Amino acid sequence: MTPKVLIVDDDAVWLQLMEQELKQNAPPFTVATTESGQEALDILAADHVSAVVSDLRMPGIDGFELVNRLSRDYPDIPVMIVTAYDRPKTREVVFKSGASDYMVKPLSTEDLIERINRILRTQAEGGSLHNVSLETFLQLIEMESQTCTLRVTRKTGNQLGVLFFREGELINARLGGRQGPEAAYEILSWSGVSLTIENFCQVTEKLIDGGLQSMLLNAMRQKDENRPDFSPDENPPNDQILLDSPIFTQSEEPAEPSETDASPSGSGDNKKSSPSGASAAGRSKGKLESIFGQVSGVEDIYEDQRYAGLLQEAARIGKLFGSGELNAVYVNQKSTGQRVIVPGSQVSVIRMSHDVSRDRIIDLLL
Amino acid sequence: MKDIFKDIITIEGVHGVIVIAGDGQVVASEFSSGYGDEQSRLGRFDWASFAGELSGINEAEFVFDSKRLYVRKARPGYVLVLIDDLAPVSMVRLNCEILLPSLDRMKPGRKFGQIFKRRKA
Repeated sequence: MTPKVLIVDDDAVWLQLMEQELKQNAPPFTVATTESGQEALDILAADHVSAVVSDLRMPGIDGFELVNRLSRDYPDIPVMIVTAYDRPKTREVVFKSGASDYMVKPLSTEDLIERINRILRTQAEGGSLHNVSLETFLQLIEMESQTCTLRVTRKTGNQLGVLFFREGELINARLGGRQGPEAAYEILSWSGVSLTIENFCQVTEKLIDGGLQSMLLNAMRQKDENRPDFSPDENPPNDQILLDSPIFTQSEEPAEPSETDASPSGSGDNKKSSPSGASAAGRSKGKLESIFGQVSGVEDIYEDQRYAGLLQEAARIGKLFGSGELNAVYVNQKSTGQRVIVPGSQVSVIRMSHDVSRDRIIDLLL
Repeated sequence: MKDIFKDIITIEGVHGVIVIAGDGQVVASEFSSGYGDEQSRLGRFDWASFAGELSGINEAEFVFDSKRLYVRKARPGYVLVLIDDLAPVSMVRLNCEILLPSLDRMKPGRKFGQIFKRRKA
C-alpha cells in the first residue's frame, strides 16, 4: 500500500502550490490536502494516512490541537509541523505534544520530501513481510519480547490496522478511529496480510489485557462467527468447548498404542467413514467436528488408520524420553498438505488448507 | 558439528538435536547440558522404523504431555529437535529452516553410526 501524506493548512494558495510541487517531484507517497483541522480528523477516521504535515495557526482545530488529537487517537501517525510562527517555546510545546518534526516556512519542496521520507522510512525500519502468517509472526514478537509498532495491511479489503507491542506484550491496537481489544480482534482475524515493522512503540498506555494466545483464539472465533453461514445453534463457541468439554472423555482417552493397535504402514487406503456417534471413535470424530467444523481452513475431518504406524513409533519415542502421552501430531506432506492427527482407538485426521496455522489448531485441540 | 546446532541448542527449552539418516542411522546428535541422560538413550531405540514411517513427510510435530518433538526433512534424512512443551516452537522451526543448507553440505557421520551400531550389538 502506497503511503499517503495528509497536508493541512488554511492557506489555500500555499496548499495548492505545495501539492502541485510535490506531485511534480514524484515522491514515493501520495498526497491529500485539506484546509481545516476538523476535516483532517474526518479524513483520518475514514482513510489510511501514513503521516500528517500541518500548519500551526489555523481557525478551529489548530496545529497544537491536531497534534494532541493524533497523539491520543492515532498514536502511530507522525505529525510534522510546518509554520511561519517560529518561536523557541512553540517548538518546545509542539515537540512535547508529540510532533515528530518541525519545519519553518518558507521551505523547499525537496527539504519537505526528504523530511517526510525520513519519517516514512522509520515506519518500515524493521522490515516488511508479505503474505505471512500473522499469528506466527506475533508469537515471535512475543517470544523475543520485542517493542515495536506493527502495521498490518489486509490485501483483500485494502484495510490497514496497527498493533502496538511493548516488550512482547500486545498493549493496544488501532483500526481506523477504533482502539483497544475490539480493533485488535478484528486485525488478528485477518488472513493474507503484509506487515511493516517499526522498531519503536509510541504508545505507553495499556488498553489490552490478556495474553496474545487468548486474543488469537477469540479473534478466530470472531472470524468464524462473522461468516455468513455460521450458525451458533449448530456449533457452540470454541471457548465454551475448551472450558466445558475436554476433547477426550474418560472412556475416550487415547489408548497407548500397542503392537496390536498398529496397522502396517502404507498398507493401502484404510480411510473410512465411521457411523456418526455409533462408537467411541465415532464420538471422538464427532467431538472434533463440533470443535473444528466451522473453523476457517479446516477442510475435512475423517478417520484414517494409515497413520497408526506413525503414532505407534511416536508413542515409543515418547516413552524413551519420558515425555508422557502423545496428544497430537502435525504432519506436512508434499503430496497431501497439512494435517493434524489425533490418536485414539480410531485415528482421526484434521485436514487443513495451506494457510491455516497449525498452532491454532493444536491449541484448540489441547 | 557442534557449531551448526548452536543456534537451536541455545533456544530456551530445547533439550537436543538429533539427525537421522533415511535408514534410521543416527548421523549426529547434540544435547544441552543437563540432558545428557536423554542423549545416552538414543542408542536404545530402533530409529529405522520411525524413519520409515516418516516417508513422504516434510515436517512433523509430535505433541506429548510434557515435551514436543519437531521433525524436519533434510537432505541427510531428518532433523529431530526435542523440546519442552512450553519452548518457543516457532523459533525452533525458524532455526531449523536456517540449519537446512548446512546439513545439505554434511556428509553422513560414520563415527556416530559406528558407536550406536556397537551399542546395539
